[in-house]
Amino acid sequence: MYVYNEREQQLIEERVEQYRDQTRRYLAGEIPEDEFRILRLHNGLYIQRHAPMLRIAIHYGLLSSKQLRKLADVSRTYDKGYVHFTTRQNVQFNWPKLEQVPDILGELATVQMHAIQTSGSCVRSVSSDQFAGVVASEVEDPRPWCEMIRQWATLHPEFTYLPRKFKIAVTAADEDRAATQVHDIGIRIVRNESGEVGFEVLVGGGLGRTPVIGKQIRPFVEQKEILSYIESILRIYNMYGRRDNKFKSRIKILVNAIGIDKFRELVEADWEHTRNSELRLTDSEINRVKSYFKPPAYEHFDGSDAGFENKLKTDPEFARWVERNTFNHKVPGYIAVTLALRVHSENSNNLLGSRFKATGNLSESQLDAIADLADRYSFGEVRSTHEQNMVMADVKQSDVYSLWKALTELGLARPIIGTLTDMICCPGLDFCSLANAETLGVAQQIDERFDDLDYLYDIGELKLKMSGCINACAHHHVGHIGILGVDKNDESYYQFTLGGSATKDASLGKVLGRSIPKEKVADTLEKILSVYIEIRQEDERFIDTYRRVGNAPFKERVYATDH
Amino acid sequence: MPLIINQQRAELDSWTSLLGDESAGGEEVLSVDQLSGDLLVSWEQWQKNRPALLSHDGRVGVKIDNDFELGDLIEDLDKLSLIALEFPVFSDGRAFSQARLLRQRYGYQGEIRAVGDVTWDRLRFMHRCGINAYEIAEDRYSDEMLEAFQEITVQLQGAADDPRPIYRQ
Ligand code: SF4
Repeated sequence: MYVYNEREQQLIEERVEQYRDQTRRYLAGEIPEDEFRILRLHNGLYIQRHAPMLRIAIHYGLLSSKQLRKLADVSRTYDKGYVHFTTRQNVQFNWPKLEQVPDILGELATVQMHAIQTSGSCVRSVSSDQFAGVVASEVEDPRPWCEMIRQWATLHPEFTYLPRKFKIAVTAADEDRAATQVHDIGIRIVRNESGEVGFEVLVGGGLGRTPVIGKQIRPFVEQKEILSYIESILRIYNMYGRRDNKFKSRIKILVNAIGIDKFRELVEADWEHTRNSELRLTDSEINRVKSYFKPPAYEHFDGSDAGFENKLKTDPEFARWVERNTFNHKVPGYIAVTLALRVHSENSNNLLGSRFKATGNLSESQLDAIADLADRYSFGEVRSTHEQNMVMADVKQSDVYSLWKALTELGLARPIIGTLTDMICCPGLDFCSLANAETLGVAQQIDERFDDLDYLYDIGELKLKMSGCINACAHHHVGHIGILGVDKNDESYYQFTLGGSATKDASLGKVLGRSIPKEKVADTLEKILSVYIEIRQEDERFIDTYRRVGNAPFKERVYATDH
Repeated sequence: MPLIINQQRAELDSWTSLLGDESAGGEEVLSVDQLSGDLLVSWEQWQKNRPALLSHDGRVGVKIDNDFELGDLIEDLDKLSLIALEFPVFSDGRAFSQARLLRQRYGYQGEIRAVGDVTWDRLRFMHRCGINAYEIAEDRYSDEMLEAFQEITVQLQGAADDPRPIYRQ
């Protein structure tokens, strides 16, 4: 994993002190409220419904066991003993005190973590594929490129006061687990006809109020010019993006307004100046950064581990979990394991007094335990995922059984990855000041209704995503089934969309019909799924069936009984 | 208004602003022959009074809005001793791009002055983009704010102050 050198470490320490002074001046009345708002957002601090929320960057999802322990430690000392992992692979503290934030950041800086540009109208942390480096099919590891982009973007003097937030994702595998088509800039590592590795660049994707699939701006950018190309895109956006209306200020609106061809023309005219400049990456820099992402010291195995194969035959529960929650590793004898950080009702002791634990939440003791397991079984590293789970990417097959036992103890081994209840769900009304509707209670309703694993497996791959307002933090537009919470006379209602996808075949879901009251959400899902079960052909996944038949049969079933 | 030039408080401002100055003709034709010294005018004033401004006794500066197309100005850069860039509100960063383009791409050597919402916490970014003079509102000025330029001493990416990213430094 990337390690900051002395100067980079100095930068994050200086940033902490700078922010400490900004906080001091704000509390002394020297910085007006609306100005400090922007300054604290640049450093990850929101003011939420209940308390401030501090978002910490986890670049491309990579975390060391040391960093996990520090997060646990901070959550014990400064917060309520748990943290929340987001859909952009970052982590949030939900109850820090504004005056203590500089101290928290000081603590985090000791393990090379920070909150720089995790919110506000600037370039946010770069996200990537949670299986980067272990996927057999990837062109090359995307993380060094994420890291080079991160460095370029950090405290960029020209692009920290953009019209709106700006998100970049990089992927190198066909499956596109980073959702590059719904990012402001999506970068795909590709090989051109002559075998050279470079980047396909997409621009103007995004969700929120106006969901848009990104458009290709250039099929191939050579490796050394990726930063100059991004810089030119940002410059055009900074100068021409709308600033008069918050809802029209993302780059997708600009691209749609002037058209991708005109936008490309502007970018490429600027790029004439930025390419072949100092921004051009050097071989030595590329190699330096790549050297931090070399494969760990894998042991050599000739094939699959016999003990592991044996357990698969003799322990059906284990086999079921392996089938659902692990991922093939390119190195023989290794496997990648997903920890399920889902909403669920068992094993709960959370602070809202409710019986369920929210998607993406981990307690401080779980964090410590995961850190220990990572040290023992996965070279001391974990990855956070876009789907708010966690991955141990390099586990020996011979260790998997013990790891599974340990994860089961921790409540992190529910064999549901990729199924309906592996849903993405934003915090909603319980935590978020922008929310229109509750989400966590609804997630619990769904979780309780669909607790029969055989049924879940029969339904197979299904991406369910639920957002508590139109900001779409859970990306409901690209869920196979999306649920959007809306407010009707102070009651939570839910609007369903069907047919979305964030992967390579990306599409936006279509609204099914009028919204549904809270107590009917699980019923509605059940109706939708019963239609699917009746009409699916062979191995069709839900999304395939939907694409074949469209909204109509589902709509008929859902609204039929209401007449 | 307090003025910072080259990271120090400047006691004197040699520039007289004719922006919106009715007695001098407002947006219309200026009676420049009666004026001397360094004059700051709007882009429109500059367009309409070029010969007079060029021959008057003193230097000329132009203030542009932050949606101004720089292309129109490039030809005139060597005739202007000051370009004032407008930062209308704290959240607006368009003029950062203008500054960087003027300084870094077009090689402008004169003074680039930030006016409008110019306070402590954006000084360093402004400096990095090539701005070297800052007009600060009276109630937001303090000598301590000069520390802004030293708060962060590491630069990962190039800009107008030093075009080299960290891997070329
Ligand atoms: S989607 Fe809305 S309610 Fe949910 S986290 Fe985002 S802003 Fe909050």
